[in-house]
Amino acid sequence: MRKTSQAFQRCVFVALLLAVALLDPQPEPVRAAGAGAPTDWLAPGQQQALERARQTVPLIEAIRREGPLRRREHLHDLGLTVKAVKTTYFYLNSPLISAVEDHYTGVRFNHGQHAAQAGDCSVCHHLRPEQDVAYSPHPETVRCSACHQQAFDERVPERPGLKAAYHQRCIGCHKQQRSGPQVCTDCHLKQVPDHAKLVKLPEHPDALQVTAECLRCHEAQAHDMLQTAHWLWRGPSPYTQDRSREVLHGKGTTALNNY
Amino acid sequence: MDCLVCHDTTGHYKKTPTSAGWPDKDLDLKPIAEKVGHSSRVSCGSCHFNGGGGDAIKHADMGGNLARPDPNCDVHMGSLDFSCRTCHTTRQHRIAGRSSSVAAAEGVVRCEQCHSEAPHLGNSLLDHHLNRHSRTLACNTCHSPVYAKCAPTKTWWDWSKAGDKQRKPAMMDLGTGTPLPDYHPMKGEFRWQRAVKPSYDWFNGNMARVLLGDAVPLDQGPVLLTRPLGSIRDPAARITPFKIMKGVQAFDPLYHTLLIPHLFPRNAEDTTAYWKHYDWQMAFIDGMASAGLPYSGQWHWQETWMYWRLEHEVMPAKMALSCIQCHDSLRGEKTCDRCHQDSRHVDFKKLAHQPTDVSFLQQIGQSTVALQGNNDYLDLKQLGYRGDPIVYGGRFKELPLGQKIPSTR
Repeated sequence: MRKTSQAFQRCVFVALLLAVALLDPQPEPVRAAGAGAPTDWLAPGQQQALERARQTVPLIEAIRREGPLRRREHLHDLGLTVKAVKTTYFYLNSPLISAVEDHYTGVRFNHGQHAAQAGDCSVCHHLRPEQDVAYSPHPETVRCSACHQQAFDERVPERPGLKAAYHQRCIGCHKQQRSGPQVCTDCHLKQVPDHAKLVKLPEHPDALQVTAECLRCHEAQAHDMLQTAHWLWRGPSPYTQDRSREVLHGKGTTALNNY
Repeated sequence: MDCLVCHDTTGHYKKTPTSAGWPDKDLDLKPIAEKVGHSSRVSCGSCHFNGGGGDAIKHADMGGNLARPDPNCDVHMGSLDFSCRTCHTTRQHRIAGRSSSVAAAEGVVRCEQCHSEAPHLGNSLLDHHLNRHSRTLACNTCHSPVYAKCAPTKTWWDWSKAGDKQRKPAMMDLGTGTPLPDYHPMKGEFRWQRAVKPSYDWFNGNMARVLLGDAVPLDQGPVLLTRPLGSIRDPAARITPFKIMKGVQAFDPLYHTLLIPHLFPRNAEDTTAYWKHYDWQMAFIDGMASAGLPYSGQWHWQETWMYWRLEHEVMPAKMALSCIQCHDSLRGEKTCDRCHQDSRHVDFKKLAHQPTDVSFLQQIGQSTVALQGNNDYLDLKQLGYRGDPIVYGGRFKELPLGQKIPSTR
């Protein structure tokens, strides 16, 4: 009986591993921003950021409790300022979030600039782990996902999950500062669903059939398009001397060039 | 309406020049429609990289190489895989961006959106001074000291020379392996350049433009079709790098207007198109009539300039201009210690004399002469300064610290 149970457990373990492997959010090619770009080309900085984004670390359960004022003072005393920032750019796209839902692409995060503007690392790195952790270059400033992982984790039920933590911190601060994006698509793009399942076209359709099929779902966007400079080839010209109040300038009307 | 031209992700979608905007007839549009997605450098580039009739001709800082950009040519696209829309944010299909060449604008893109008004991080003395520079210099003045790094661009186009079917074009290879012609009978004479030092001028974000039908003086040198506004006295203006596209075009000596030629034949029966009949008179009569403008029947060839602001092609930080390249006063032994007390912690001379990293330009076989051993990369006198601002004071502040100079204001 006991043997069977062990075998069963092993099976479950293997099944779990398999499931994890299947869920492993590393589809190839990983192209965050350059959809449509050649797949034989990789942007070195973005590749590093994507690799970092894919890493997960064990949950830190024990947190050293420090009030915000003491925390701030403590980090300043340690000299943790913008100078200590090792990685200035992150692509925030943790599998902890995308494994649950994946409606949006990741977020390009200018870490260096945020550190410089905040001038205070404790704004985001507001607590530290009780024990030093091997994977972190500095235990005072572990990554968000070390403490914030899945929501309602029974080990740390009071902690927001990673997605909520990001959103509360980012949007909260941007609102407070009246600066920075506050709307979903200001930070990340909506994932485009697989249109092979959505598009219904006959074989070898003509161009008008394709447009009609797009407009079956995207009529509102088509109406938007009709108002744009890319459609009209003209638009407001607020930065042109003596013409800033006229609205009809552009390549379709009065623009000249020497090509 | 053509959704696919922007939302194609396969790279297969294409139009042909003669099909008036319709997709290539031989394309199967179904597999393309089934893979639609967000716009990309490739889809935006299918129009914008080919302005002027070919790769990177108009936009010196945008070309087909941006499909697989070298990080040294453009650090945002080449290292961080930025798409156009990463900066040119879009609302309801209105794409932000302020063009120096076209008047229409639907929003503004500024480096400061991400990099803030104090983009040089850290608290060092150098960061402090560089952040003060940001009020006076556009980012690309230092961070992209040469333009058209990865693809040659046209900088001269003389339409008056067009029409000579006997003339054999001289071919020049600017290190890309593709020789480029200096002449085409349909278009005239060209000059191509690569890794070019920009022209610098004050710019406050606004342009003066000659628009269709505007009368311009024809006896005062080149006609500036676009011209940046701003001056040394304008706090909103910054020294900004430009490609100046120069050329020769036809004007009406009576009405003083730029003449619009009818170039591309409308159909097989077309009797006036220049690119069919090589007759300027017929092309101007038809072109001006189509534009609804008067034409005296005479034309006069005149040099024209267009200022094109250089916003892309930001290089890695180590390739930016350094202090000594513009500040003549830092050349000798006396550098930052003109104003600051010597410090044993900082080697002022090393800091000020640190050269620009030109390894990439050398690697692509381009001249680095202007970037090495000179202290006048920006012509400060031509920009309105009395001399090096370190000695003579800045444009709004005189801080000569011990230097006795006569006040000018």
